[in-house]
Amino acid sequence: MALIKVLDPTAKRMDDNASPGPDAGSLTGKRIGFRLDQIWRCWDWISENWADKFREAGAEVSFWRSTNRSGEEGEEQARSLDAWLKSVDIVISGLANCGSCTGWTIRDAVAAANTGVPTVAVATKNFEDFAHELAARGGRSGLRVHVLPYPLNELSREEVDPVAEAYFEGLLTVMGASLTEKEIAA
Amino acid sequence: MSIHLIKPSNRTTTAPKTLVSRDCGPAGCEVDWLTSKRVEVEDSIEAFTEASVELGWGDGLPLIPPTDARVRTFLSENDRYPDELIARMPDNSECTVEKIVINAVMAGAPAESLELIIAAIEAISEPDFELYGVNATTAPVYPGFIVNGPIRDALRIPYSYGCAGGVSTRANAIGRAIRLIMRNVAGQVAGVTTQTTFGSPGRLGGLILGEWEEKSPWAPLAERRAGLAGNAVTAFSTMGTMNILDTTSSGALAFLEMIGKSVSYAGANCYSPSMEYSEMTIGINPICAEIIAKELATIEDVQEVLWNHAAVPAEWFQKLHRDQLEAQGRVRSDGRVYATPEPKDLVLFVCGGLGGLHALGLHSFGSSLAQTKGIAQAEPAEAQAAE
Repeated sequence: MALIKVLDPTAKRMDDNASPGPDAGSLTGKRIGFRLDQIWRCWDWISENWADKFREAGAEVSFWRSTNRSGEEGEEQARSLDAWLKSVDIVISGLANCGSCTGWTIRDAVAAANTGVPTVAVATKNFEDFAHELAARGGRSGLRVHVLPYPLNELSREEVDPVAEAYFEGLLTVMGASLTEKEIAA
Repeated sequence: MSIHLIKPSNRTTTAPKTLVSRDCGPAGCEVDWLTSKRVEVEDSIEAFTEASVELGWGDGLPLIPPTDARVRTFLSENDRYPDELIARMPDNSECTVEKIVINAVMAGAPAESLELIIAAIEAISEPDFELYGVNATTAPVYPGFIVNGPIRDALRIPYSYGCAGGVSTRANAIGRAIRLIMRNVAGQVAGVTTQTTFGSPGRLGGLILGEWEEKSPWAPLAERRAGLAGNAVTAFSTMGTMNILDTTSSGALAFLEMIGKSVSYAGANCYSPSMEYSEMTIGINPICAEIIAKELATIEDVQEVLWNHAAVPAEWFQKLHRDQLEAQGRVRSDGRVYATPEPKDLVLFVCGGLGGLHALGLHSFGSSLAQTKGIAQAEPAEAQAAE
């Protein structure tokens, strides 16, 4: 059969930063920011648990909650996120536990990483590959992603708390946290 | 906590740019305007369709090979430069006229539809449309389009019987062209860039329908929304098409009560806790519209009546759901949760066959806000050159 040439109908961004960004290093005195949403109560519980541990290790903790992304409220969200990113030294962005929330978790994490602060996105297992795909499409294929089990939000607080405990050490590894003896003791 | 109201933002899409000098006009003199990679395939629709699936270009349905000749012919019937940037998509990929035309050729869309497709892409790339969330979600959502103006008849955009699907018209190819652009440029590929749990037939052929302006007692949708008379397109996100049957009601208030109560149910997108607000688009058939207009003076009156019924008692929700809605300030003093913040957020238009009896519910996604754009008048390059 004869051959013809056809034009490629696809378009993708060409640039990429494959670096995971800087390690979190020592946590003492650092301001650690949690990016929350308003849909996953399990993420509120886990971030509260982890925040307590960071405080015990000598860090400060702040929270920023994602809400509406359109209209005037969307504009205000964008301004608020920019201001918050300037106020923290480390960002933990979650929770990638559905389609659009993975999208915005990763988009905000990429924005954080692009400011140069150590950044980790948190995803549940089912959305791990999707999180990496969106990070690459966002121009940060090396974005750090910490993975929690799935399903998670369907569990009770009593079931989620042990998950928070079990996955904290893994978070520190993904963050590139180098703990001092005092932090380890805490 | 107060109700979150929907107010459009001032954000706009990226300004267009050009890649090369345009001194030579769209014909390009010695310039090869088409910059897309060329791929060699066997010369048959069957072989190309199979190749398109392997290359990640297609949807599995037959496709027309987008050769240089076909793309150039399509372009020559319009006055757009192929390198013109129409929009930046959610992952920052560039949606140029060239990419739009290649996908339109593949879908078999008529060259005369280019300006409509461009206006549709411009609309969904506005920040307030929130395509990023629309693309990524587990929901089945996809952009739908309502067309106003004479272009409806010129392109045979359906607005009467079967307007939401099933009519034999090349408008179906226009809808599919937009879907291919969504797949190949905008990044809505199931299992890759979208996590849609079930998907939707609308993600294959799209949804593009007209407003039956001549049967509408109200001003055309684009005129009401954006002051645009004539050819225009309104893009909205929709979870699919929901039918509302009413063979029994008598009078405007009864019809609107039935529609309002039907579109408002606990699992509707408008009650998702992920966002504090959403819009809702509803198609009203011409017979019902005429009955309604006899009793209610303005479209705002219609929206008000409908809105008052598009609500559910907060107690209908289980505690965990109710807690989230209360935390967002969405439970009103009357103990109900309304589908949209205000009556104006119900996007109403007239369409459908003269059999009446049904309304068309089109639930939106998240805080994605409908966008209306005018459709430019195309002028073939050859005509320009002759001037």
